[in-house]
Amino acid sequence: MNQQIHDHTPAPDSNHAAPGYYEVMETAVRELLFERKLITPGEIRRQIEVLDSRTPALGAKVVARAWVDPEFKARLLANGRKACEEFGISFYDETDLIVLENTDEVHNLIVCTLCSCYPRPVLGLPPDWYKLKPYRARAVKEPRSLLAEFGTVIPEDVEVRVSDSTATVRYLVLPQRPASTENYSEEQLAALVTRDAMIGVVKAEIPETKEMPQ
Amino acid sequence: MTQTEHLIKHLPTELGGLDAGPLVRVEHDLEPWEKRCHALADVLDFHKIISTEEKRRGVSALGSEIVGSLTYYERWIVAFANILFQKGILTPEELAVKMDEVMARSGEETTSCTI
Amino acid sequence: MAQRAQPMARDFPDIVKADGEQPIFAPDDQVRISMRFPIGHFRVPNYIRGKKGIVEAVIEPTIINNEEEGFGRNAGNKRHYYRIAIPLTELWPNYAGSSNDGLRIEVFETWLERIRG
Repeated sequence: MNQQIHDHTPAPDSNHAAPGYYEVMETAVRELLFERKLITPGEIRRQIEVLDSRTPALGAKVVARAWVDPEFKARLLANGRKACEEFGISFYDETDLIVLENTDEVHNLIVCTLCSCYPRPVLGLPPDWYKLKPYRARAVKEPRSLLAEFGTVIPEDVEVRVSDSTATVRYLVLPQRPASTENYSEEQLAALVTRDAMIGVVKAEIPETKEMPQ
Repeated sequence: MTQTEHLIKHLPTELGGLDAGPLVRVEHDLEPWEKRCHALADVLDFHKIISTEEKRRGVSALGSEIVGSLTYYERWIVAFANILFQKGILTPEELAVKMDEVMARSGEETTSCTI
Repeated sequence: MAQRAQPMARDFPDIVKADGEQPIFAPDDQVRISMRFPIGHFRVPNYIRGKKGIVEAVIEPTIINNEEEGFGRNAGNKRHYYRIAIPLTELWPNYAGSSNDGLRIEVFETWLERIRG
């Protein structure tokens, strides 16, 4: 959808519905700040483009590379942000990144109990459920039952490790590579890596292809 | 020991360990205004007109009822308005007048109370 | 190309670091999260206050105390954050999962107390 950001005559959101109260507020605040020359329409337009360019596909590519290239994986685990920057993934929000490796011994998941901290530069914007109470309240208190609601059951002898973001470090889970993928190309591997696997609520899996999706 | 201390000691936005129900697996594509609001937050933080941390504090300062009733980006834009007023960048009257202007432009009748 | 010796801290033993530049804690230090209750803004959740954990890592570089940053301070008072490991059994008396399950959380230096012994 086209974002209408103009200096003087900003158009309402959509052509068929009147803007709601908060949209009016957002438009008014933004226009006043333009008038004060504190921010510019170009900056807003540009930042929307930045946001649109960040999707889980970026993280998936990083994960797939880590799966096939042990030296990259070592760099990724040593400094997540720097390794992502090798792909041109810039950290526009000045956060750092710690990549958490899932192993046979440890299953990681990430949460922000205080707000909604999330590795946006490499995953895009978080899903609603990540920002709502059930997830944020229970992830640090009963992660296993929460994971079970995603269909993920972690055996008792595997440690569940929950990382709660409170400062400028963000987290990305490096899921385990699924079995029977030895002959997959990097692109095929990346296709197995979902956003939810990089949050840590599900594992990366080869999807069952019982029937073609509609 | 007062009965109300816990309201002050806990932020309305902190949820770790609270009792909560089952996961609600909702997602929605952002409305265009929500995406603009997110872009606005990023640009304001870049300039340190309103830092991300100031935004977080501003959202929790809205208090439990508003935090519990407004959606994510609704909370942001109200918090921004409050912070901009506190910093003397905008006044409530300026924003109210501009909001009326935006509504009039979009054909909506103004509903603001001028008492 | 001749190999140059790596600079080492002991080359300049008289260097004095400014207050806050040197991390107070190191990995494997046992720490306790302070019990105090700031009003208005904080980034140390109530659920970890007073709990014991172990420093897993020092986060570099030093950054502003975000309790102050929330009220508009954007420079000064920089200290380290530390990634702290706390067992979930330490946090929740009736924790039903594995005793190995744990939390990792960043905590600002001024919120940590060293546990001796």
